[in-house]
Amino acid sequence: MRRLSGRGRSALIIGVQGIRARKLRTLLSMVSLFLGVLAVVVVQAGASIAEKAMFADIELQQGVEGSKIIYMGAEPKTTAIVNDVIQGRDDAVAMIGMQAIIGEAGVRPVNEGGAPIGENWGGGPGPEAGGDPSGQAVEVRLSALTGDVRAFRPFRPRDGRWLDWSTTPSLAPKLVLNEAAAKAFQQYHVPAQMRLNGGQQTVTPQFVGVVDDASSTPTAYARLDEVNRWLAPAAGPQNGPSGDLQVLLTASTPATQVLQKRLKAAGTEAYVETVRSRAEMAKELRLIRLVFLAMAGLVLLIGVAGILNVGLASVGERVEEFALRRAVGTPRLLLAGIVLTETLLTGLFTAAAAIGASAGALRLVSMFLGDREPFLADVQFPWDAGVAGIIAGLIAGILGGAVPALRAAGIPIATVMRA
Amino acid sequence: MTALIELTGIVKTLKGQKQPRTILDGVEMRVDPGESVAIVGRSGSGKSTLLSVLGIFDRPDAGTYLLHGQDISRIPERKAAKLRSAEFGFVFQRFFLLKHLTAAQNVAMALVNGQGWLPRRERKRRVMAALDQVGIAQLAKSKPTKLSGGEQQRVAIARALVREPKVLLADEPTGALDLETGTLVIEALLSATERGCGLVLVTHDRDHAARMGRTLDLHDGVLTERVPA
Repeated sequence: MRRLSGRGRSALIIGVQGIRARKLRTLLSMVSLFLGVLAVVVVQAGASIAEKAMFADIELQQGVEGSKIIYMGAEPKTTAIVNDVIQGRDDAVAMIGMQAIIGEAGVRPVNEGGAPIGENWGGGPGPEAGGDPSGQAVEVRLSALTGDVRAFRPFRPRDGRWLDWSTTPSLAPKLVLNEAAAKAFQQYHVPAQMRLNGGQQTVTPQFVGVVDDASSTPTAYARLDEVNRWLAPAAGPQNGPSGDLQVLLTASTPATQVLQKRLKAAGTEAYVETVRSRAEMAKELRLIRLVFLAMAGLVLLIGVAGILNVGLASVGERVEEFALRRAVGTPRLLLAGIVLTETLLTGLFTAAAAIGASAGALRLVSMFLGDREPFLADVQFPWDAGVAGIIAGLIAGILGGAVPALRAAGIPIATVMRA
Repeated sequence: MTALIELTGIVKTLKGQKQPRTILDGVEMRVDPGESVAIVGRSGSGKSTLLSVLGIFDRPDAGTYLLHGQDISRIPERKAAKLRSAEFGFVFQRFFLLKHLTAAQNVAMALVNGQGWLPRRERKRRVMAALDQVGIAQLAKSKPTKLSGGEQQRVAIARALVREPKVLLADEPTGALDLETGTLVIEALLSATERGCGLVLVTHDRDHAARMGRTLDLHDGVLTERVPA
């Protein structure tokens, strides 16, 4: 590590002596600056935590930053191409979405259309209008997967286990529910029968786990090979699924180009999207963060005025000391450096106090509100808020110390002669 | 032999409220290594102004100031600070000790001044040697408020001696002390001349002035040699 120059070390030694000699003044400066630095730390920490929480949810819904998604209709020939290209690859997963009703046959599900429980999306006609009677069944969005999708959508496990592709496909498809679906099945006890795409053929599903996928729509995840056996006749002559098909691919996989070319050759229209949610979200949050930081900056300025005031008073008191230091050969620049060192150290101490207070408060909030607000559970104090606090402390030290430093450097040496 | 200090035709004018006032009017002065010189004169005669010029606190308006034969009459402040640190030691009437520092830390102030860097151990060695030279090494850890006037002035002398200066400038160092303590302080200052340090003492006290090698009288801005009776 490079050591400080003689002047730097002299400034540090004399600055620390000055602070120790004037503890009350230093404390008063810190008090006046504390709120300003705290405001900067809190704004930065709040923004970072909010951004992280928002981004974590967006990542669950839209996919890992930088990954690619190819959207297309799940027609049999398309499905066959996709299967052919991504089979055996761990850098691509296909996900076919379809509707499934789990529960009594011949009744209207309690959430017709797959709506979140408690919301009415305006279902079909009731029994009086000739439709099915309402009964014990829940409609879910079924996502049939060719592989482990968590590399692209890092679902948070909540209960049970995730799907296992190492075993032979079961005739009773294993389902992993999202929290909305799990809530629905907790509320409505339904028979273990599942009909896919509104068909009449029933399957006996097994619920093996629950994940948080940040969706309010009741959703179940299953292995495509287990679902494929039971698809409704409407799925087509090749026994392929119908619905929408997404292929999720890593940013660098060559499979993207191969798949695009094969789909184009087959005349299938596909839409490719690269997940850029972080950049878009950061852009949206930047303005809000700037507004709050500007407000925190104003509070910081008040603190700077406090340091400036105390600094000027301190220099006024120490005229003889500074004149004497000049008499023994201390250069003007070092005198300014001594005052700046004192205010910078004051700013740093204040920053440390503000960071400590914020981290402690965050820990308490996490302890007491973590159960109610999941994003607050196990939340860590963001390092960038600490850096922002230190920068704010240093800036305040420089701004508050500049004028007293100039004044100290300008004290005439003859003061000691005329005293 | 090259003089330690040689002033020729030094003029210093202070801007008064109505008209400029000439404080030093063609001052001629020479100090050799190891020599002790007393400057006496009435209050307001310009003794402290002369000391300010000698210590490069102020620059003369006219004339030449040679230090070791080098003209330093118009040197910039940055170089003057370096010279003050390396060549001069200062002792003032008021001791100017910092109350929050110990005697040793007050002495070390002259070493921690941004003009070169000494390791902590070397600093400590020099500080203790300087305190020992003035006979108060045992008071190194005492704060100034716990010291008598004579002890405080000896700490100030140790501070002036710690960098082993070539010239010691003392501005009425016994002015705030009783006769006996003042004598001890003068002895401490004179001991520095034994190793070749020049001493310029500004004083009102004729007895202390008489102990110096020469006495110069400053009157109406003109410095004249006082012939011993």
